[in-house]
Order: sequence, then C-alpha cells, then structure tokens
Amino acid sequence: MTVLELSSVEYSYRRNAALRGVSLQVQAGEVVAVTGASGCGKSTLLHCAAGILTPDAGSVQVAGQDLATLPEDERSRLRRTKVGVVLQFGQLVPDLPLIDNVALPLLLDGHERAEAHEAALEWLKQVGVADEADAVPAELSGGQAQRAAVARALVTGPSVVLADEPTGSLDSRAGQELLEVLLRASRYRGAALVVVTHDNLVAASADREIRLRDGVIQHEVAL
Amino acid sequence: MATAELVLGLLSRDPAHGYDVKRGHDAWFPDGRPLAFGQVYTTLGRLERDGLVEVVDKTSGGGPDRTVYALTDKGRKHLADWLSDPVPPAWGSADEVLRKLVAAIRTGGDAAAFLARQRASHLRRIRELRETPTEDDPTSPLVREYIVAHLDADLRWLDSALEHLSEQKETRP
Ligand SMILES: Nc1ncnc2c1ncn2[C@@H]1O[C@H](COP(=O)(O)OP(=O)(O)OP(=O)(O)O)[C@@H](O)[C@H]1O
Ligand SMILES: [Mg+2]
Repeated sequence: MTVLELSSVEYSYRRNAALRGVSLQVQAGEVVAVTGASGCGKSTLLHCAAGILTPDAGSVQVAGQDLATLPEDERSRLRRTKVGVVLQFGQLVPDLPLIDNVALPLLLDGHERAEAHEAALEWLKQVGVADEADAVPAELSGGQAQRAAVARALVTGPSVVLADEPTGSLDSRAGQELLEVLLRASRYRGAALVVVTHDNLVAASADREIRLRDGVIQHEVAL
Repeated sequence: MATAELVLGLLSRDPAHGYDVKRGHDAWFPDGRPLAFGQVYTTLGRLERDGLVEVVDKTSGGGPDRTVYALTDKGRKHLADWLSDPVPPAWGSADEVLRKLVAAIRTGGDAAAFLARQRASHLRRIRELRETPTEDDPTSPLVREYIVAHLDADLRWLDSALEHLSEQKETRP
C-alpha cells in the first residue's frame, strides 16, 4: 500500500528552483533515506511531502488523499494525524512539560486530556524518556529532546514519519541511539519512515536510498 | 601488508601449525577478509628463511600441515618493534574501488552507475555489520567499529567522486 506519493513535484523560492520534477512513492512500513549534497532540495522535498509547503506544480498524496484538493480543515487534520514530523531540533514548545508537548497533537485533534496524557506517557516510555515527563525541553539533553520529538511525531498514529536530519545535532553515539529509537518506534507503529540525512550510517538503515542532485532524483537504489 | 607480523603475533604464545595460524587470524578479524592458506604457507616460509620463526616439529611423511612453527628470539624482537611503531596512514579497502572507478572512466564505462552500486554495497555492508552482534571478547567490537568507520570514509569519498563526475558532465557535455 502506498502511503505517500509525490508526482512531478516542482517548487521554487522566488526564482530559485529547488525541486524540478520529483516523483516518488513510499510503501507502508518502508524506510527511505533521502540523501544528497547541501542545497540539493532535501528539506524542500520533505516540507512539500508534509504539506508545510505547497508545490508549484505536481501533486502530493498522503494515505491516498491529494493534499491540494482537500478543503483546508481536512488538509490540516490529515497532516496532523497521518504525518509525523521530526526536525533537527527546536520543535518542542519551550514552556510545556514533555508530557504536554507529546499530548499536544492529540489535544488539537479533540481527544480528552486524560486519554491524551496516557497515550503521551506510553510513547515517552517507548522512546525511553518517561522519567523526564514533567521536565520542560530546556532541562533535557539534545538526545532526550529528540526522543521526545519522536514520541510526538508518533503519538497520533501516523502512516508516515518524515524526519529531516533527526540526528544532525547529536554526537555519533547519541545519533545512533536516536536512530534506533526512530526505527523501532516507526516499526512498532507500522509507519513508513522517510529520513533526510547527510549521515551514511543513518542511510545504511534504510530499505531504499533516494539521492537528489540539484532538485532532481539522481539515483534510487534498493539497499 | 602486515601479514608477516600478524603471523608472528599468532605464534607468540605457542608454537602452531599453519592451519592454526589461519584459524587464529580469522578469529582475530571476524569481519575481515579470511587469510588464504597459500598466503599462510608462503609467509611462514619467508619468515623461516629470515630466521624469525623455526620449525620445531615435523611429523615424518606429512605435508606442510604437519609442520609446527615457533617464534625465534629474533622473531620476538621483530614483533615487539612492530607493535611499538605507530601505523602510517595506509590504503584500505578503497584500493579496489579506486582501481575499478579509474578503469571504468578510462574505458568509457558507466562510472556513475558503478559508483551508485558501490555506494549501495557499502551501505548494505554497514547495515549487515550493525545487525550482527559482535563476539563477546575484548577486541571484536573494536574491529567492527574500525571497519564501519572506514566504510563510512569510503562512502564520503564515493560521494565526492560522484559529485565530481556530475560536475564534469555538466561542464563538458
Ligand atoms: N526560504 C528560502 N528562500 C530562498 N531559497 C531557499 C529557501 N530555502 C531553501 N532555499 C534554496 O533552495 C535550495 C534547496 O534548499 P533545501 O533547504 O531544500 O536543501 P537541502 O538539501 O535540505 O540542504 P541542506 O542539506 O543544507 O539542509 C537551495 O538552493 C536553497 O538555497
Ligand atoms: Mg535541509
């Protein structure tokens, strides 16, 4: 089953063409590494897939639904529930304890507070930071904060997790541990994982590598 | 190649047959390339000629497998000197990749496709190494980390080679 499909996606920042016709499909449970030199369009691709950016041309389908044809409220709901996003850093709300940070997507989706907290705690356990549930992000190490970000990405039960350099701010050991957590959590949830990375050791964990160069796919290989 | 010194090291505790030397080597480097029997015997022959090892037992009528070798004093000294010397930066497994890449470019083959395949094969090897638990001994994890770090270095080199090729193609179509 295809959980994410991009067809001939183009995107330009003013006159700077960042994506020049990118097509790809991601199957349920698959792990895909997106690699390529700095500036080749990896983040732009991920942001288009996540619905953060709207392509100038082409289409993005998440869980079989075309983002462009959905009314705004349904589109945000689809993004919130079917897509989990993990960035390099800085995506947790600074003043909120971890448990509330992780529960937030569920609360926004109308879940009861108690239920949302229970699910959040479960995911904090799953990623190994349940002891820090009451701490605010500033009290955490980079690795702990990234684990919490993984919990927050998975708490709604997405069919695809999109991660942009999730280990980029960590040293190699913490990076490897975070990668294990991300892979295990996605597998546990049955979610596909698309991970943008410069790190060959991260790419080595994928089922497939998609390499971008200058806004187009340079090659794609099964691993 | 430091095979000779490794053989001396493998004989340093007890005298041994060539077969034991090979087995010992492969156990020291579980993820490395196994030592070929032929190489063991030529190495032992050369070490004997140089007076670094000696034959201490030879069952009559036996083939080379029956010969037991031991370290001489000279051999022990050579081994100690080698162990105290730092290793100069050397070429590793990237040799063969470089040879093939150069051959591919020089003969007009599809070098970019070769690089993509080589990259995939390196990535697979890293995953394979990370998925198999290391032996529970003091050095196997170090050997593993060494190999992964070098594969990673090869990959970075492969990336820049790929980038180099793409740029050349753009400037000289
Ligand atoms: N907000 C922006 N405004 C203008 N140009 C941008 C913007 N964001 C990215 N770009 C340009 O678009 C191109 C693709 O950028 P993108 O961030 O997708 O690359 P990347 O592959 O993620 O790079 P990196 O590995 O450095 O994160 C680059 O040329 C970049 O300069
Ligand atoms: Mg980026």
